[in-house]
Amino acid sequence: MFVVNCRIFELRQTDNYNKYNNAILPLMYYVFTIGFRFDYLRGFINLNNESMKRLHNAIRQKLMLLFLMGVFPFSIYGQDDKVAEVTSTYAITNVNIIQAPGRKIDLGTVLIEDGIIKAVGKSVTIPASAKVIKADSMYLYAGFIDGLSQVAVEKPKDKEREDVKDPGNPPNELAGIQPERNVRDFLKADDKSVDDWRKMGFTAAHVVPDGRMLPGSDGPILLTGTNPDEMIYSNQVSLFSQLRGAPGVYPNTVIGVMAKYRDLYRNAENAKSYKQRYDQDGVGMERPNSDRILEAFYPVIDKSIPVAFKAESVLDVQRVLTLKNDLGFNLILGEVKQGWDITDKIKAANAKVFLSLDLPEWEEKKDTVANDSVKAEPKTLSGAEKEQERLEKRKEEMIMKYYEQPALFRDQGITFGFSTLEAKSGDIKSNINKLVEKGLNEDVALAALTTSPAQLLGLSKTMGTIDQGKLANLFISDKPYFEKESNVKMVFVDGKLYEYENKPKKKKNGDEEDVDPKGDWTYSTETPQGNGSGTVKFEGGPGNYSGQLTSSFSSDTNTLSDITVDGSQVSFSFTIAVGGDALNVSVSITVDGDTFEGTMTAGSYGSFPIEGERTPKN
Amino acid sequence: MKKYIFTIILACFAFVTQAQEQGDVLIKNGTVLTVTNGTLENTDVLIKDGKISKIGKGLKAPSGASTIDASGLFVMPGIIDAHSHIALDAVNEATSPVTAEVWTGDAIDPLDVSIYRALAGGVTISHAMHGSANAVGGQSETIKHRYGTVDPEVMKMKDAPRTIKFALGENPTRVHGGGNDILPRTRMGVEAVFRNSFSEAQEYMEAWDKYNANKGKKGYKGAPPAYDLRLETLADILKGEIIIHCHSYRADEIYMLMQVCKDFGVNRLVFQHVNEGFKVAPELAEFGAMASVFSDWWAYKFEVYYSTAYNATILTENNVVTSINSDSGELIRHLYHEAAKTQKYGGLNDDLALSLITINPAKQLGIEDRVGSIEEGKDGDIAIFKNHPLSIYTIPIYTLVDGVVKFDRENDAHDMRIYTDPEEKIDVTFHQSDHSTDRCMQDTEFLFKE
Repeated sequence: MFVVNCRIFELRQTDNYNKYNNAILPLMYYVFTIGFRFDYLRGFINLNNESMKRLHNAIRQKLMLLFLMGVFPFSIYGQDDKVAEVTSTYAITNVNIIQAPGRKIDLGTVLIEDGIIKAVGKSVTIPASAKVIKADSMYLYAGFIDGLSQVAVEKPKDKEREDVKDPGNPPNELAGIQPERNVRDFLKADDKSVDDWRKMGFTAAHVVPDGRMLPGSDGPILLTGTNPDEMIYSNQVSLFSQLRGAPGVYPNTVIGVMAKYRDLYRNAENAKSYKQRYDQDGVGMERPNSDRILEAFYPVIDKSIPVAFKAESVLDVQRVLTLKNDLGFNLILGEVKQGWDITDKIKAANAKVFLSLDLPEWEEKKDTVANDSVKAEPKTLSGAEKEQERLEKRKEEMIMKYYEQPALFRDQGITFGFSTLEAKSGDIKSNINKLVEKGLNEDVALAALTTSPAQLLGLSKTMGTIDQGKLANLFISDKPYFEKESNVKMVFVDGKLYEYENKPKKKKNGDEEDVDPKGDWTYSTETPQGNGSGTVKFEGGPGNYSGQLTSSFSSDTNTLSDITVDGSQVSFSFTIAVGGDALNVSVSITVDGDTFEGTMTAGSYGSFPIEGERTPKN
Repeated sequence: MKKYIFTIILACFAFVTQAQEQGDVLIKNGTVLTVTNGTLENTDVLIKDGKISKIGKGLKAPSGASTIDASGLFVMPGIIDAHSHIALDAVNEATSPVTAEVWTGDAIDPLDVSIYRALAGGVTISHAMHGSANAVGGQSETIKHRYGTVDPEVMKMKDAPRTIKFALGENPTRVHGGGNDILPRTRMGVEAVFRNSFSEAQEYMEAWDKYNANKGKKGYKGAPPAYDLRLETLADILKGEIIIHCHSYRADEIYMLMQVCKDFGVNRLVFQHVNEGFKVAPELAEFGAMASVFSDWWAYKFEVYYSTAYNATILTENNVVTSINSDSGELIRHLYHEAAKTQKYGGLNDDLALSLITINPAKQLGIEDRVGSIEEGKDGDIAIFKNHPLSIYTIPIYTLVDGVVKFDRENDAHDMRIYTDPEEKIDVTFHQSDHSTDRCMQDTEFLFKE
């Protein structure tokens, strides 16, 4: 099983890997125990003969070897960096290599050495020092690049508005004008987001600091390393800007931000040209003031870097384009959500684009239910129901626009990547999958995650494809990535290996232990009539819960009926009197420890969010 | 400067693709209320390429033009609202008593369904104003109600003169003096803000003039003055390039601003609200200042307790160019009705009453050569009513902007929103509306301390 200097991993689509792991650990335990007993016996019986000694050493060597082979890999490949790596040479064999969009090698080998892709192909010579990863029939992709992101970036909490003497002239820190800051100062190598992003296949990200109008300079980072300097891949690639105003001080609104941006930019142009004159022949000239705010614009004015503007809505994108046209800078549009109607304008501005992976929730239609009800009862709809139907239809059409947008951009010839400033980590992979499901070509999706962001950010030489000489940023997926059920198994960032076990997905509420809602709770809800609050009390136990609910809307106490508990889901209903009619209110909540969240549905009055917490016992 | 011109040229190219829609339409056989040339019975109005090309009888529709049968209907120029805050994402940059550099043109929201509601009341142009929190507020934008676009540039009325909002009295003193304990705390302070601002702008202009005169000279070593967009804008007011629209109530303050403007050589001045305008009507006329008023709304704050529904008539009879405005997404839908009130209070004739919502607001916005009356060569902005628009029984039937039908009562869709909220909770039971909220002081709430 073991060959010196060459360890073999076998990865299969099933859980062989786990079985292997599970088998090794008890073995190690056994070996340790034997080793200990041996020493113990030796001391006790005082065995001095040479052959016994040799036997002893031989066994101990084997034990050590086993120890190295077996336990080491499993402890170092996670995030635990306490133990030095044994080798930085890896060979991923027998794997489907998607080198780049549209470029594929069936069952080939990729050799990685010292963080670089050394060889890619069908017949690659594997050096003896290589750790071989048999990724049989799995899929190898170039690591994804997040086009505009705050992965690994700490977001300082917004300060309370300080008492500013003159809100029209606040310190830059409060105004959000801090382009002299650097994202490096906000990177947190062990932030949970780093691992969250990595296990979706991201290996690099263009990160920006949190802030307002001018939050600070950006940088591409690798999703590996133990400190900010290790993570930073290269220096600033753009001047990050937002239309976000400062609370309570100037510039507070979008009109303030745009005016201030123009003012700063033109001041910077003047200051820069004066500085140039001064540098050429400063004799007799007033010394130019140094100003870090204005100097931050110099490389933009030079056109050596673009401005990266976060602009989500159709209006904000156009506002940014207006600024671009007024001032003349090169532009990256980031986190674009609504660009489908203005592709001509985006093209005319020659803007680079990152589309947001924060998409509105797609509500899958329950076809069967709808069909059944239609068949069962062809009833005529009331005016309100027709209205409801029309509004639902418009909402659906609107949602579709978001999902069709990447394909539209592709058809319009606009190169785009994806960005995640507003996206929740839990939604990103499923949103990518849904985009493909709704018609985005897989190669285009892959390009938007690899080659396009590399190109747009000037990283193409070293990232974006699986080619010899590029950074070893890649990942192994058990199935084609864009299939819903795919799982990322191993991720290499800068040649460092991260492994991910995929927990089998729980069936919805299937294995989950039922919560016990028993006790007193307080809740609050938002309805069109205003905010309400009250208490809920559950009594009894599993199978026979009972309860009462009070509400700030009425002085009645309502008795709960139909209380069911399924995993963390608790639902119940009660009846209230509205203008002489009985109205059934149903509530469905998810209990998480001592808090819950959910919705309250009151017939045709609609559904409202409800949240609550357990009343602490005295 | 060359660089700026170059970028402006680039910008023009960039927006070529977003050309405005211009319609060809023949409006047949209506009672045409031209406003500037009396009432023409059984008359046709032909609009070609978005402009009124002919007014007369028995006109033929050119090929490709559509026809509207206006028999028994009243055809009037599109209504113009000289004071509105619809179609804006931001109204007040309330953080400083002087914010001349900000511009509502940056916050135009062509998706605002209020635009369609205004069209349903025959309004084709509105003055999207900055709010009244600051003594010198932001620049405003004149928009045409070309509803149906997502492009703010399409909404803007190209080449309309620049305008800026000023404010007197309680609003600026409350926000800045009361809220932040800075100038202006009193009405005297408001005057001081104007005088300081204009003086600074004069110095700024002089400094730049001096620099520009010298910079070409051989061996000149001087530094350019610091660029300041706020002072640039104030300087443009002094140069007569921007019309001041000033929020005002009290006669003494109205008179004060006229004195300030005289001292600084500024003569393009329109007073908004101007509830005590009737007290200083001859002075306003002498200065050449104009007035944009409510028909019969006052007593909503202390400084506006003294007013009269005869205000518009008194101002008009004193030769002050007067308009009636909405300042509201609700009032904007029945400005014709607001204008009609001057017939009850003061007995203005039809043409004078209609001019309050057409040619006069056009004059106040400096666009009277293009809109505000039905004349050949003007924009094809038309409102068509069943029954006379000054009648209590009037009903808007069609509204056209640049010859394009933007409202048609017969074909009024259920849902005229351009974009919907993909995350909205749909609920047909409850309807909340904030369209009648006064937005003049929007975004300033945080400035008021307990």
